[in-house]
Amino acid sequence: MFARILTQNPNRLSLAQCLFFLAALGVFFSFTSPYFLSVSNINNILTASAVIGLIAVGATFVIASGHIDLSSAAVMALCGTVCAWGLQKGEWSPWIALPVSVSLGGVCGLVTGFLITLTKAPSFIVSLGMMSIARAAAYIVSHGMPIYGLPDNVITGGQGAIASVPVPVLLLLTGIFLGWVLLTQTKFGLHALILGDSVFAAEATGISANRVRLKVFGVAGLYSGMAGVLFMLRTNAGDPTAGQSYELIAITAVILGGANLFGGRATIIGTMLGVLCLGVLQNGLNLLAVSTYYQILFVGMVLLAAAFLSRVGYRR
Amino acid sequence: MNGLTLHHISKSFGSVDVLKQITTHFDAGQVTAIVGDNGAGKSTLLKLMAGIHAPDEGQILLDGEVLSKRCPADHRRRGIDMVYQDLAIAKQHDVVTNLFLGREITRRWGCFLNRAAMRKTAQRELDRLGITIPDLNRPVGVLSGGQQQAVAIARAVLFNPKVLLLDEPTAALAAREVEQVLILIRQQKQQGRVVILVSHRLNDVFAVADRLLVMHQGRIKLDTPSEATTLAQIVEHIVG
Ligand SMILES: Nc1ncnc2c1ncn2[C@@H]1O[C@H](COP(=O)(O)OP(=O)(O)OP(=O)(O)O)[C@@H](O)[C@H]1O
Ligand SMILES: [Mg+2]
Repeated sequence: MFARILTQNPNRLSLAQCLFFLAALGVFFSFTSPYFLSVSNINNILTASAVIGLIAVGATFVIASGHIDLSSAAVMALCGTVCAWGLQKGEWSPWIALPVSVSLGGVCGLVTGFLITLTKAPSFIVSLGMMSIARAAAYIVSHGMPIYGLPDNVITGGQGAIASVPVPVLLLLTGIFLGWVLLTQTKFGLHALILGDSVFAAEATGISANRVRLKVFGVAGLYSGMAGVLFMLRTNAGDPTAGQSYELIAITAVILGGANLFGGRATIIGTMLGVLCLGVLQNGLNLLAVSTYYQILFVGMVLLAAAFLSRVGYRR
Repeated sequence: MNGLTLHHISKSFGSVDVLKQITTHFDAGQVTAIVGDNGAGKSTLLKLMAGIHAPDEGQILLDGEVLSKRCPADHRRRGIDMVYQDLAIAKQHDVVTNLFLGREITRRWGCFLNRAAMRKTAQRELDRLGITIPDLNRPVGVLSGGQQQAVAIARAVLFNPKVLLLDEPTAALAAREVEQVLILIRQQKQQGRVVILVSHRLNDVFAVADRLLVMHQGRIKLDTPSEATTLAQIVEHIVG
């Protein structure tokens, strides 16, 4: 009975796989480190996952539609840097700086989406170009150095809490909820999934692939922008080197969460479980004092394993 | 003038002239079958009528009105629907979703999906049309080839099209299901629709068509009422 419930729905099957992996990691690390299950450590995991989480929500839309976005982390760094520059050098009000830098992410996404339509090149190539451009722009804006010295009201706001929920976690939860509504409840989310499932089915039924693709990359860019602002608030700086290889971790999380790597199937809940798995893995390895180099090695291995499982687990 | 008119339609892909100066008219309440060799240009002609391809030259008119937007969305809105040779379904999505692709029922500002209403409408309309699909909640990709074809046919007739274009709709079907499709075609005809059927199964063609077009290398080689000809003659025209 249980097996049938799982196999009837590929989404449920991959969620179960992901939950199982998360539980296995949890059990393993709670035995190897006494601190692992402490409240403060769990808080650590959640705050550390918040930035990746926002990028991963955006990546869920991109992968759902059958594309790959390699520029998300670079766009995030650009948005954080521009925000810090505006607050510190430009003396913008936070009410201007924050929305402007989040929108900048959206604009970067729209440009990527537009260039894919224009050049008819695969998305990973076009987004690779955007990755270099955004990263370079971040260096140019900041002259290659992190921008420190944000206004006090921004710092206290970013590190504060509303109803004892830390602001970063609150931002993440809002982002997740909006992403879930957009992907599962709206016509746009459905059309993104249809585009990833069959481009011809979309076009034959009058769904404009170009328009949907543009929106998908725009949404992903907005999430990169939000992640950039969040990263800036957490580190009190606009760092042009921020988030190296975060795009790969985000993609890993989405695939780990059961998305079809060729598009057509992806869930926000799965992605969040994937983000948690990777967060727990990284945190546990930190507690075991495993060096960063090996941690990246593990992320790579998890991506390959997830890609393999997603082929085995589902017949396309 | 009621029905679909093609006026000097030409289409080429690169250096290949696929359709050459096609002019004809399809009447409402009539079933026209288009037959011909592989590569004769039948699918291309239907895709032009569906708005997938734009003609290089010529015009398409529906009830005397020129279709100038040349995109599937506009053609579907005006009531031209098609069953594609390769079905054009989203295999990872369930039957209901596929039936309502591009025509989703929404609530509030036209952007939130109303899944319950779509499910209910789908069930009601399928019952009305006499099309049985086992489980509306399963991904179409896990259904059998014939069931997938039934989904594609259902999607094309669900919203009462003025023009129904069928490209090999019975290719994957067993004898009994073929019979059901032929019944459905006759129903559509009686309701005054333009029905255009492309098929290699000449027996099916003779069973439903009022008129036969034989295509050869992008031209209409023969245009005849079906009772004025025989299966043997048609075979000769296709081969010869
Ligand atoms: N999108 C396209 N790009 C380039 N050439 C095409 C395209 N679509 C069709 N053709 C060419 O146009 C010609 C006619 O193709 P079409 O699919 O219309 O034939 P058909 O009569 O439907 O054949 P069949 O009976 O095999 O379905 C073929 O030579 C084909 O190679
Ligand atoms: Mg064909």
